[in-house]
Parts: sequence; C-alpha cells; structure tokens
Amino acid sequence: MNAAHIFLALFLAPIVSSVPIAVAYRRKELVGKLPPLSVAGILVSLVCSVLLLLKFPDQHFEYPWLPQLGINFVLSTDYLSRLMGVVTALIAFIIAVYGLDYMRGDYRLPWYWFFFNLFTASMLLVVYSDNLFLLFVGWEGLGIASWGLIGHWYRDDDEITFVGVPDRRVGPLRLCWTPSFGGWRAISTIRLGDVPMFLAIAALWMLSPEHNINISQMPWEEILRAAGAAGTVVILTMFLIGLFTKSAQLPFSEWLMTAMTGPTTVSALLHSATMVAAGAFVFMKITWYIRPWEVAAAVPGLETVYLLALLVGLFSAFYGALTATGMLERKVLLAASTMSSLGLMFGTAAASCWIHEEIAGMNFALLVAFWYLVTHAFAKATLFLVSGHLIHATHSRFSEGDLELASRMKAGFVATLIATTFLVGIPPLTAYWVKSAMDEVMEHLLIHEHMLLPLVLLLATSVTYSVILARFFTLNFFKGGKPHHLHLERLPLMEFGYLAMVSMLFVILYMLFERHELFELAKAGFKPASLLVGVAVLVAFLVATFKPRVAALSKIGTFFNDRMYLPFLNDFISPVVGFFVARLVENYGNRGIDGFFNTKVVPTLFRSLSRGVRAIQVGYLRSYTQIVLGLVMLALIGVAVWGVMP
Amino acid sequence: MIELLLLFLLVPLVVTFVAPLLPPRAASYLTALAFAVPFFGVLYLLFGGVTADVTLMRFPAPVGRLYVFSDAITAVFSLSICAVSAMVALYAIPYMEHRFKEMGLDPRKEFRKYIFIYDLYAVSMLWIVHSGNLLLLYVFLEIMLITAFLLIYLYGYGNRQWVGLLYFIWCLIAGVLTLVGFLVIASESGTLALDELMHLHKISTVAWAFIFFGMVIELPGLGPHIWLPWAHAEAPTPVSALLSPLTVGLAGYVMLRISLVDPSFFVVYRTPIFAYAALTSIYAGFAVFMQKDFKRLLAYSTISQMGYILIALCVGGVFGTMGVAIQYMSHAFGKSILFMCAGGLIALYGLRDVERMGGLHDYVPELSNAAVIGFMNLAGILTVGMLGELFILRGAVEAFGLNLAYILPIVFIFILSGWYGFYTIRKVFYGRPRSELKSKSISGYLYVPLFVIGVLSVLFLFPPLSSSLVGNLYECVRYLIGGGAL
Repeated sequence: MNAAHIFLALFLAPIVSSVPIAVAYRRKELVGKLPPLSVAGILVSLVCSVLLLLKFPDQHFEYPWLPQLGINFVLSTDYLSRLMGVVTALIAFIIAVYGLDYMRGDYRLPWYWFFFNLFTASMLLVVYSDNLFLLFVGWEGLGIASWGLIGHWYRDDDEITFVGVPDRRVGPLRLCWTPSFGGWRAISTIRLGDVPMFLAIAALWMLSPEHNINISQMPWEEILRAAGAAGTVVILTMFLIGLFTKSAQLPFSEWLMTAMTGPTTVSALLHSATMVAAGAFVFMKITWYIRPWEVAAAVPGLETVYLLALLVGLFSAFYGALTATGMLERKVLLAASTMSSLGLMFGTAAASCWIHEEIAGMNFALLVAFWYLVTHAFAKATLFLVSGHLIHATHSRFSEGDLELASRMKAGFVATLIATTFLVGIPPLTAYWVKSAMDEVMEHLLIHEHMLLPLVLLLATSVTYSVILARFFTLNFFKGGKPHHLHLERLPLMEFGYLAMVSMLFVILYMLFERHELFELAKAGFKPASLLVGVAVLVAFLVATFKPRVAALSKIGTFFNDRMYLPFLNDFISPVVGFFVARLVENYGNRGIDGFFNTKVVPTLFRSLSRGVRAIQVGYLRSYTQIVLGLVMLALIGVAVWGVMP
Repeated sequence: MIELLLLFLLVPLVVTFVAPLLPPRAASYLTALAFAVPFFGVLYLLFGGVTADVTLMRFPAPVGRLYVFSDAITAVFSLSICAVSAMVALYAIPYMEHRFKEMGLDPRKEFRKYIFIYDLYAVSMLWIVHSGNLLLLYVFLEIMLITAFLLIYLYGYGNRQWVGLLYFIWCLIAGVLTLVGFLVIASESGTLALDELMHLHKISTVAWAFIFFGMVIELPGLGPHIWLPWAHAEAPTPVSALLSPLTVGLAGYVMLRISLVDPSFFVVYRTPIFAYAALTSIYAGFAVFMQKDFKRLLAYSTISQMGYILIALCVGGVFGTMGVAIQYMSHAFGKSILFMCAGGLIALYGLRDVERMGGLHDYVPELSNAAVIGFMNLAGILTVGMLGELFILRGAVEAFGLNLAYILPIVFIFILSGWYGFYTIRKVFYGRPRSELKSKSISGYLYVPLFVIGVLSVLFLFPPLSSSLVGNLYECVRYLIGGGAL
C-alpha cells in the first residue's frame, strides 16, 4: 500500500461512505440504519492519517492534475500537516460517534451525514494540501459544508435551535436568529473572504516562476519582492481576508455566533479542528514557508502585513473574551471564546515575524501557536459535546444547572471541569505550558521591538478567558440555578464522546514533557513571570466560579451579550445599503430602460411614425398632388437659396 | 479519423428530421442519444488530442472555404451544448405534456412540432460552435434565432406573442449588425474562412465595432439587457433552459473567435469595455435581489454572468480566453439546472412568485438540492466554475496588475453571485412554508437530468476530465494566441 492509495482512501472514504445515505433519502428505514457506515468512512480517514504520521513523515507527494498550469495534487506530510491531519480525523471521528446518539431520529439525516463527512474530507484536504489551488478546493468544501450544517434545521420551527433571545429588539434589529438565517450569514461572510483569497492565489500564481504554487516550494521571497511593497500588502491582505472570515476575526465574527443554530456536533467540529481552525492553520502553514523572520528585512511590506495580523488577532481575542463574559447561551458563550482563542493563535503566529528563536528547525512562535490550536481543539470540542448533552437533558440553550445536575451527570461534570481548567492556563495543567510560551513570545515583542500592546492584550485576554470558561462551568453545573426541565437518559455514545475527547488533554500534557521540541516550549512555564500569570488566571477562575454573576454589571453584560452591537453591521447596515442599490437598479434602472425600449418610448415612436406614414395614404389624388407640389416648392426654394449663396 | 467529426455533427441534424415521426417519449430519448453522440465524440477527440477539420464546400472569394472544425475551444462549448440539450430533452417529456395540456392542445400532435423545432434549435447552436466559416456561422445564428422565436411564440407564457416578437426584433438587430461586421471583413480580407483569417491577423475597427455592438445586444450588456428577462422568463422552461445557459453565451463565443484573429479592439478599448462589463454584472447582480418571478430572477443572474464573459474577453490573453470558455461551461451547467428547477416548481405547483415560495424543501427536496448545485456552479464552489473564476482572476491580474480600481469590481462581482445564490435558496426553499401546499410525487424526468448535469459540473473540475479538457484548452489557446493558425 503506497502513499497514493492512503491519500485516496483518506479523502474519498468519508465522501463515498456518505453517498448511500444521501441517495436513500426517501427511505426512512434505511436512513436510520446507514449512519454507522458514514462514521466508518471517517474511521478509515483516521487510520490513514495515523499511517501517514507514522510511515511517511516529512514527505512530498505529487500527482498530476493540470501539470501545464502547476495545478496538481500536491500533498505534504510536514510537521504541521501530519499532526493536524491526525487531530482533525480523530476529533471528527469522536464527534461522529457522539453524533450517532445525538442525531438519532433527526428529520434530515442524509443531509447531515453527507455534509458532515464532506466537511471532514474538505478539512483534511486543506490540511495536507501543499498546492494553493488544491487547498482552495478544500477551502470551498469547508464553506459549503458549513453552510449546509449550520442551516441543517432549515424549517426554522424549533426555538431550541435559534440563537438569541426571541423577541429581543435593539432599535430596528431583532437579535434572534434562525438556522436558515444562520446559514445565510455564514455563507455570505465566507464568500466575502473567499473571493479576495482566490484573487491572492491567482496573483501569486502569476508571479511564481513556472506556475509553481506549491506552498513549500514557491520562492516566496522572490515572488513578494517582485510584487513590490504595495503588491505584497495587497496580495497578502487579500489572502488574510479569506483567513479572517473563516476564522471569524474582527469584523467578520458575527457568522460564528449564529453558527450555533446548527446541531451541537457541528458546532463542536466547526470550532475545534475544522473551519475556524482552517484559517489559523493555513496562516501558520504559509508563514512557516514564507519565513518572515528571515525575509521581512528584504521584502518591503511584509512586516506591515504581519503587524496587521498581529493586531487583528489580538483585538479579536480580547473582543471575543469580553463579549463572552455577558453571554447567556451555552453554545454562544463557547463560540465567542473560540473566536478569542483563534485571535490568540493568529496573534502568536504573526509574532513569528519578529521571533528568531528556533526549536528543532521550527520557529518558536509558530510552534506555540500550533500547539495552542491542538490543545484548544480537544478542550473546546469537549465543552461543546457536553453542551449538547446538557441541551438534550435540560431542553434549553441557556446556561442553567446546579450541583444536583452535576451529581446526576457526573461524566459531563468531570469532563467540563477538566476541559475548562486545562484550557485557561492554570498551572500546571496542559494549556498553562503553552500559554506561558505565548507570554514569552509577547514579552519578546515588548523587550526587543518595544511593542507593549500585544502583551497587554494577551494578559487581559488570558484573565478574561479564565473568567468566561469558569462561568461556563459554574453556570451549568454549580450556580446556574435549578434547570426548568430535566430529562436524563443514558446516552453512552455521547458520554464516550466527551470523555474520549477530554482524555486527549492528558495525552498532550504527557507529550509536552516527552517530546523534545515541546519540552523546549514548555520550559517557559518554569519562569516566575509565567507562574504569576498562571496564578492570576487561577484566581480569576475561582472568583468567577463562586461569583459568576455581578448585579452591578448586568447592563454592560447585556451590551456584551449583544456582542457590542456588531450584528448591526451584518443585519442592518449591509442589507440597507444593498437593498437601496437594488431598489435603485430595479425601480429606476430597469423600469426606465424597459419603458424606453420595450413598452413606451420606442414602441410609441414607431406607432406614431407608422400612423403618420399611413395617414398620408388616403387614396385621394388631391393629397398626393399636394405632396408632390409641396416637394417641388421645397426643391425650388432650395435651389434658389443655393443660387443666392456666395 | 477526421470525417468522424462530420459524422458526430450530422447525427443530431438527421435526428431532427426523424424524431417528429416518433411518439413523444421515443423522440425525446432519441434526441438525448443524438446529442450524446457528439458529446462522447468530442471527448474522444479531446482525449486523443486531435483537432479535426472537414471541408464542406469551397466558394470563391470573398467567402472562402466552408468547413467544420473542432479544437479544444470548440470542445468546451460543444460539450456544454450537447450535455444540456440532451438532458433538457428528457426533462421536457413531462414538462411539455403539462404545458400542452395547460394550453388545451393535443400533446401527441403538438409534441411533433415542438421536438422538431427544439432539435433544430439545439443543433444550430452545436453547428455555430463548429463552423469554420463566418458565413456558415451566421446562417446557424439565424436558424437559432428563428427557432427560439418560434418556441417562445408558440408555447410561451404570459403575453407570449409580444414577448416572442420582442426577442425576435432585438436579436435580429444583433444578427444584422454582426452580419454587416462579417461583410466588412469579407470585403477587406477577401475571405470568411476562419483559418485564412487567422493567417491574416487583421480585423478592422469598423468590422469589430459592428460585431461587438451586435453581439453585446445578444450577450447582452447593460441597456440591451432589457429584452432578456422577458424572453427567458416567458419562454417555456425547456426553451429557457437552452436560451439562458447556451444561446446568449454564444455571443461570447463569436467575439472570442474574432478576438483570436485580432484582439486589437479589446486591447484599445479595454478600459471602457471593462467598465461597461463590470457595470453590467454588478447592476444585474443587484437586480436579482428584487425579482419576484423566479425565472426572471434567474434571467438577471444570467446577465450578471454574461458580464463575467465580457470581462474575460476584454482581459484577453491566454487566461482571459480560457476564462471565457470555462465560464461559459460552468454557467451553462448551473443555469440549466436552475431553470429546470424553476420549471419543476411551475409544473408541480404552478408557482413562479418567489414571495409565495419559502419552505419548499419539505415538498421537493430534489429540486431544492439541485438548486444548491446550480448556484454552486454560478458562485464557483467545488465545480468547474472554480477554474473559470481562477482564470478570469489571473487574466485580470495579468492585464491590470494589482490595480485595485479594476480588481476590486471583479472580486465584488464574484462575491455578489454567491450572495444572490444563497439568498435565493433560503428565500425559496428554507424557512417555514409560506403557501399551503402538499407534498407531491415528482417524476424522475423532472429531477434526474438536473443531477446528471450537476455531477458533470463537478467531474469537469477533477481529473481525468479536467486534465484533458483544460490541459488541451491551455495548449490550444497558447498556440492560437502565439500566432499559430487553426
């Protein structure tokens, strides 16, 4: 079995295995039986990704597609790809197993499984692809699959699938979104980013010698220097817009919040290893090969782009964390926290531009960003899976739950406690070591580049982040009050899902001290400054756990829950401007042109002209004589005038 | 070997005269088969990398040799035409029966008349693409115009005779202007044969201007565009499903051929033409949002997509040229699916008003899912349209550099296509049903052809189809632009 077969199975197994259920959509009985087949397809992908990790590390595979144009199936198993591949497939597989229970009896299973598997396959394509066009194919697959899954419950008839408080209004805006609206918001934002990114790819394709658009082989320095300072800024900014929209960075974050209208399994997948992670991952991957820390001095404009990414990332991180403090809904709180985490990933990866330290041949900052992504993926997926169980049990999307609930849902309680504490950076748990390294990166920027803001934003985000996850924990299992409704049934696959997911955090913790390159990274955790930050995070966590609600802050909490009115951009400003133009075009443009050519002016002119011509032909000799005489007179006058003229 | 091409092209022409003798179902299947022959024939030539050229007749100057030919560019167009025509023929079986009954006509008798005109219409488009002589091309252009006019006039909706006449007049003006352009070429170059013209490499500005304005009416650009929503909305759906995806884009093909001979017109007037094309596309894109009639909505989307083609033409170069071809194909696939989808709603529920739709996915999941594939084609997501967009973008970057004044409108147009697509899907198919309808069983003819085209549109993105089609297209265009002859 060679690598080509493995890749073929890796990408096609999920898609092929979900075709039967998609085709059997009219046969209810069969549909109920087929989901395990789809899950098996993802299992095949998982096995393949593990095989690639173990047997084919650090290789480059190329299979022809349009070789004349440099568009080929080029796949690589470099450090980032082979690890991310396993992470993606593993998370997708666990969530798929969980989904067998969670989605049982749903009215649209064929749709769900087809797009779920397409989603996984697309992400795997993005992860392994080394060719920019191939990557973009996977990228578009992510976009369409996320649209399908977010709007899964297209009937818009179940309040439990909505986002926002029904009937809540701020000015002209209804702050409540249905699934089909959520899907529309997602795809419209994604398209806004995808096309500029596509343009950037086209431009890079033009500039690259011999049409080569293989990320690891392109002469990035040469290409960007040829583009010039302005060209570099335009191309890379366009590229970044694609990444920012996918990863829900400011100001494109709104779609992610209303993406919570989809099934919880989708939210879990969307927020951990696919879709939003794709943006951060691709950013890391191209940064890996652009090597800005080496070439920034020689390529004008490059530093500007990385500064932009740094700031957008960190501001999004802070915005996400801040808004999450006011969130009432389980999943939306987690969504905002994801945005925040992704911001940290972007910020840290962008900081690599100024970090020269290398570990085992890899840039320190990129390594930190990547391992934060991995840690976050497992922790966030766990939290979403627990949320799904909570929503099932309490029939509510709003955070509520007390110790009684915790005692009756022990597995969920334990998983949540582990996932939250491991993710926020409490020493000595998993994310602490990674976050400490992140502190070190930003500290480096302060000391060597005199940039204070990144460090401040990072610390503020870290503390706020701790508060929001503590709130998630406490409002659902401790101080959230008695649920209005409680209906617990044994759902073993769901429990297996989040327990398996959360156990991965221990594996990562072990790896941090076992793997050479990760230990270099974890060393930052032994510094006193890092410990201080860790203690601050711990204190914030504890305070928020015991005092999750502060009455004095309820106004500002509502403001945060309304996401600082950012929905106005998506739901008010854009449609108002858009429909103004559309109305102009239709009511004035089209009606005017139609009236001129087709219905009024030209037809009327023709009609009167023809009436005029016909009016002459009356049949009386007298009128013809008059016409002839008139013409003769006119001719005579003409001749006379011509004769008189000098 | 070479005569094969003539055989492929003659099969549907012969069937045109045979099909009316058969009962409706058999006639439709025969038609579909007749178009499958050139489809696979062209694929066969393509995989063999063969360019074919068959002389039909020789005329003295200024007409020159009449011949049919096939290269990678014609392949893209004729594959689209054959695939769509074959599938629409099958789709028409239940649809036209429904229409004839609705009009109070005898289905069996009327179908003979219909299938003859339909076949002639589709064949004329196929022959336009393969015509090696501008005179031959013009003859088929006129046959196409007249047959489409008859179909609208006889079986259209609403004020069909007025709409038919409207279509006829606009396209006649377009045709006559183009003919004048051709005649100017004939008098200046002494020939109308494309291969000889390719050697001469010269089209005067006067000739170009006539052809350009003629074809911009046909395409159509902003202004003349106003005939299109009438014709495409009121034509019987199988005709809309050819008119919109195939016919109008052929104006782009004609301009493409002329610009391969001499692209000077697009080079000299690049900026104004670009501005006009971008304005057309954006204008029509916005108009889509305001349409109440589903078919009219799709018609405006066609205008917007034809703006892409005009942009690709004026961008020119290897990638602009490839962009025209691939964009034509992608639009043909996507729009035929969408028109058939709209037709399905008419046949099943008599629904055309978008405002009265909503939540239809519950009743016709087949059509709803097909529409998703259709709009994915228009937006260039995971279908052959992705390559079209990529080529247009690259062509634009080559022509204009990274000048944002040119680049951003193109980017915005592509975004707009995605927006109106998914906006429409949500409005029509999702949410709570706005009308009291019942789930009806849907005939396989009304949705299977849609998915066949949908699958094709995805297959053409990936190997082996795209490797041979786009790979050959690239070599062919590079050769032709590099000064090679046909």
